[in-house]
Amino acid sequence: MNKRTTDAPPGDAPQAEYWRPFMEALPVEGTAVSTIGDLLGTETVSASDTVAARLDELQFDLGEGPCWDALRLRRPVLEPDLRRRPQQQWTSFTPAAIEAGVGALFAFPMLVGPLRIGAVDMYTREPVALDEAHTQAATKLAEAAGRTLLKRALDTMGREEPAEDANPFSRRVMHQATGMVLAQLDVSADDARMVIQAHAYATDRSMMEVSRDVLDGRLDFSALDGGDGRSR
Amino acid sequence: MTLTREQGILRAFAQLADTLVADYDVVDLLQNLVDLSSRFLGATASGVMLADEHGELDVIASTSEASRLVEVMQLSAYAGPCIESFETGAVVSVADIEQVPDRWQAFRDRALEQGFAAIDAIPLRLRAQTIGTLNLFRAATGDLPEDDLVAAQAFADVATIGILHQRSLAESDAIRQQLQFALNSRIIIEQAKGVVAQTRAVPIDQAFTLIRDYARRNQKGISQVASDIVERRLRL
Repeated sequence: MNKRTTDAPPGDAPQAEYWRPFMEALPVEGTAVSTIGDLLGTETVSASDTVAARLDELQFDLGEGPCWDALRLRRPVLEPDLRRRPQQQWTSFTPAAIEAGVGALFAFPMLVGPLRIGAVDMYTREPVALDEAHTQAATKLAEAAGRTLLKRALDTMGREEPAEDANPFSRRVMHQATGMVLAQLDVSADDARMVIQAHAYATDRSMMEVSRDVLDGRLDFSALDGGDGRSR
Repeated sequence: MTLTREQGILRAFAQLADTLVADYDVVDLLQNLVDLSSRFLGATASGVMLADEHGELDVIASTSEASRLVEVMQLSAYAGPCIESFETGAVVSVADIEQVPDRWQAFRDRALEQGFAAIDAIPLRLRAQTIGTLNLFRAATGDLPEDDLVAAQAFADVATIGILHQRSLAESDAIRQQLQFALNSRIIIEQAKGVVAQTRAVPIDQAFTLIRDYARRNQKGISQVASDIVERRLRL
């Protein structure tokens, strides 16, 4: 079995089963479920809308935000009123999230025993507070989602080409671009990734956008000569 | 200060529980277990045998070389009260080692030679799973007092939980390592595609074909080839 096909398996397409339970149990407008860290990789698995997906992408690119904190602290991170009464200081993420139209933001860690799987981010446009029952429900749902994701990862472990090609949020393009940049500049993979990150930050775009430019040949770092990194 | 027996046992429990905090080592835990058993349960010597994941028993901790020898001997003959306790998951008490059945003759001879007259083997057991035994050797014949037996089983239970907990931690560590390896190789393959796409000026798909074909021709794993490419040890 495990014969690879070019078509995605039908169940893999929108992955709505990951975010739907949260939307039904909590007074939120959008939900994104992401694996985070060096266990399963940093990648959104499923998002209910583009704002939710954007929030996660911002956090991945910036390396800060509630999903990182929730996973590190192993507890929910709640921002009931991000605009007026922010609880945490994310210097880059908070303004970006507000600009994306977010009023309240909640992150729940996905943990399986000692393993850190990822986090679930939820948002609303207007401020809203979660009560104790909501927090408990989300904690339970996040736990269940974490177990499902871990099981899925264990099932696909060892396949050289993962089935995640079907994932619209896949960040594999970024890894490919990292490879191209490391060849362009003759630097390590870590440094190449940082070059992409810095360029994205400097040009106010996402790392994925920059990566696509690299892949399509619109951006070549070897052609830039110690300048400010702007190719166009 | 002299402790009453009850105080001693309570203190022993507190010490065992202490061993279980955070980063404990199973060997420390078991050494603690046998030391405390000897001190508070009227044993001349004591030892712990533990089975590994494949059910192979080994002597992990003992208070004396003498008890260790008797245990090791049972392992090589695979007969004796400790083995029986491990196999049945029940306490096996021998009040007079001279009276044991002939099938335990090797055990009897070695135990008497080392100066032991009585033994109690207590299973390290959680529900249906027996993972080893706690063995209490005594120099005089007779039954171990009922209270001591209850305390010994309680010691053994605490140790069992500690061992099983540590094993499940080790398992999740193994899963973590495997997943991280799988993830790393996935990422490195993507990076290698990028390197080859850049250096050969080909599209990503074709870059992967080049990598895969090279791996096949040279009978290497794709992950290994990809890693060599990303580290620039190999140029396609």
